[in-house]
Amino acid sequence: MPASPPSSARSNGPGLSRRRMLTATAASAAALLGAGALSGCGSALAADDDTVRLWDLFSGADGGLLNTMVDEAAPDMPGTRIERTVLEWGTPYYTKLAMASAGGRGPDVAVSHMSRLAGYAPSGLLDPWDTSLLEEFGLGREDFTDAVWQRTQFEGRTYAVPLDTHPFIVFFHPGPTADAGLLTKDGTLDTDAFSSPDSFLEAGRELAKASGGQGIAFGYVTDTAQGWRLFYGLYRQTGGRFDLPEGGPAEVDEDRMAEVIAFMAKLVDGTVNPRQLDYASGIAAFTNRQTAMILSGEWELGTYRTADKDVGAAPFPTVFGTPAVYADAHSFVLPRKPDADPGHRRRTHQAVAALLKAGQTWATAGHIPSYGPVTRTKDYRALQPQAHYVQAQEHVVLDPAVWFAGAGSDFQNAMSQVLQQALLDGLAPDRAARAMVRRLNTFLSKPSPA
Amino acid sequence: MSSPHASPRTAPPVRRFLPPGLLFALPFLVLFGVFMVWPLAQGLWMSLTDASFSAHAPAFVGLDNFTEAFGDAEMWRGLWHTVWFTLLSTVPLVLVALGMALLVHTGLPGQWVWRLAFFAPYLLPVGVVSLLWIWLYQPDLGLYNHLLRAVGLDGVAWLSDESVAMYAIVLATLWWTVGFNFLLFLAALQAVPDHLYEAAAIDGAGAWRRLWSITLPQLGRITAVVTVLQILASLKVFEQVYLLTKGGPDNSTRPILEYMYDVGFTGYRLGYASAISYIFFVLVLLASAVQIVALRRKEK
Repeated sequence: MPASPPSSARSNGPGLSRRRMLTATAASAAALLGAGALSGCGSALAADDDTVRLWDLFSGADGGLLNTMVDEAAPDMPGTRIERTVLEWGTPYYTKLAMASAGGRGPDVAVSHMSRLAGYAPSGLLDPWDTSLLEEFGLGREDFTDAVWQRTQFEGRTYAVPLDTHPFIVFFHPGPTADAGLLTKDGTLDTDAFSSPDSFLEAGRELAKASGGQGIAFGYVTDTAQGWRLFYGLYRQTGGRFDLPEGGPAEVDEDRMAEVIAFMAKLVDGTVNPRQLDYASGIAAFTNRQTAMILSGEWELGTYRTADKDVGAAPFPTVFGTPAVYADAHSFVLPRKPDADPGHRRRTHQAVAALLKAGQTWATAGHIPSYGPVTRTKDYRALQPQAHYVQAQEHVVLDPAVWFAGAGSDFQNAMSQVLQQALLDGLAPDRAARAMVRRLNTFLSKPSPA
Repeated sequence: MSSPHASPRTAPPVRRFLPPGLLFALPFLVLFGVFMVWPLAQGLWMSLTDASFSAHAPAFVGLDNFTEAFGDAEMWRGLWHTVWFTLLSTVPLVLVALGMALLVHTGLPGQWVWRLAFFAPYLLPVGVVSLLWIWLYQPDLGLYNHLLRAVGLDGVAWLSDESVAMYAIVLATLWWTVGFNFLLFLAALQAVPDHLYEAAAIDGAGAWRRLWSITLPQLGRITAVVTVLQILASLKVFEQVYLLTKGGPDNSTRPILEYMYDVGFTGYRLGYASAISYIFFVLVLLASAVQIVALRRKEK
């Protein structure tokens, strides 16, 4: 039968080879899966003993500075190498950190905003720092301000080592600000001229006259945090309570909230200050000198100094009586490691202490180093305008210590959205305050992931 | 004969542990099992627990997550946004694609240019499309407000006005994905047998008559397919919304999938997020079932 095609039913050869092929395929598929699993483990365990792996969220200029700090820290941590992994800042950063920590496969140490601690420490995602070890490497309780240190604590243990405080402050162009009569003799901002809502608005008018354009810029439209930053700092200045008991309801002072919102709305009503600025156009308005002042996070210092090398800065003025400056803090945390090697943990403590002592470098970006000995040096006091707002860290208020708040959280966004309606779309202040409380209660009614 | 090679007849007959078809399907089944069935089962289990990103072991909570979800206004809002987007996007994505295919098919000069121009956006990744449209929609510098101002109208806050943002997203989606439907329609148009048109021409039918009586009826089946595919694709909306508005302003465009993402990945409540995803899963399942039944009926 010459024409009959070979078929597996008839001849042994192809039948066997097909089976062999299938076996091989299955085997290689299994090998592939196995290899994937193995290499996953491998990378988690492969870190050399002398390497401290650090996750951080500093890119751009901050990232370069941290590299310099790592180099500067080398003499203080002989035999230890810091290996940075830079992840993009934003909500996903915390997702990655939480995911890695939940699985016990996080880095040796990570940078986290201190405002997120309340969502992390109770969940068991972090290991506490050993304060006696830190002390041994030169970091003591007295090296940090009370306002900052208090937020590192959870159930009597220290869960964060603060690297810096980055407050929400005011920047100004010295020329027009002096023309408006708002500078003191030594060139610092005359904060008395901003010490009530009315005088703040009046100062805005003076600044507008002096700048030939408008007074004070504040970029908040569509931003997920700016509205909240300004609001919460001002609200804490009123002395109003902001207690968020688990399960709710929120215990807050709606009248004072409305008072603050009304002031914010006047501030951006478009008469002396620009009305409808988003984050980027706020910065542009200030750097192009359309305004003489901007309400802004200190972390934009580099941007402002590029545009105006003499740019001035001051802590956020006390408008409502009690000094309070909205801020957050970068801190080092220990992602959970169920089987951490004590020797390696010791090395990690040493590395973090070494980094903190190199804080002078960090300060050049504008952040206030948390480690007291740095800000007390002559070098630091020579830094302008940083030294002018260093006292802001005495009165910092961070986000409420609840699991859903903190940098990059949905909560900040939700609050900012309501505020935007009040500032931009004319929602009445008392109704805006009520809307904020409603949303607070919704957050509070949700069970904590811990 | 003693040699095992001598006679095929002595080869062991089919006495396998597994039928041969299964062996061939095994590589697929393994992947299907690992990446589809197991996650599905795991997700279902998770939706019955209070699992979260934490060091604590998840505890079984029964249907608590589902009870919470059904009473969660944000969940319903997200679900509505997804359905609303699907309604808003499916109609133009089918009709505009059909119109474009008919135009190209009627023999505009330079057919390939049109084909390419209509289909090209579909090849762009969603990130590129979103960045492009963010610039087009930019309130101060964007093209659209520039054009509006040029004719003396006020600019529109395309992505930051609650009453406009969803339409802006739909418009961007239309530009981005209409090319795929266009291509399906065009292929179907080219498959309409010529003899139908010839016969109609002999009977003296004009261009409109041919369109209504031949072309459109012949496209009935592909229209159904395109609509089904489009509804399923639109229900899955997430990326362009996330990139264009982050679900904003004030969550007014946040689809159910982004709510699930927010609850699970920024709120760390994996159990609750799983429950939401299963509620959505049932919705998609229902939509698919309705469509399958409808298509079957059409075939008969």
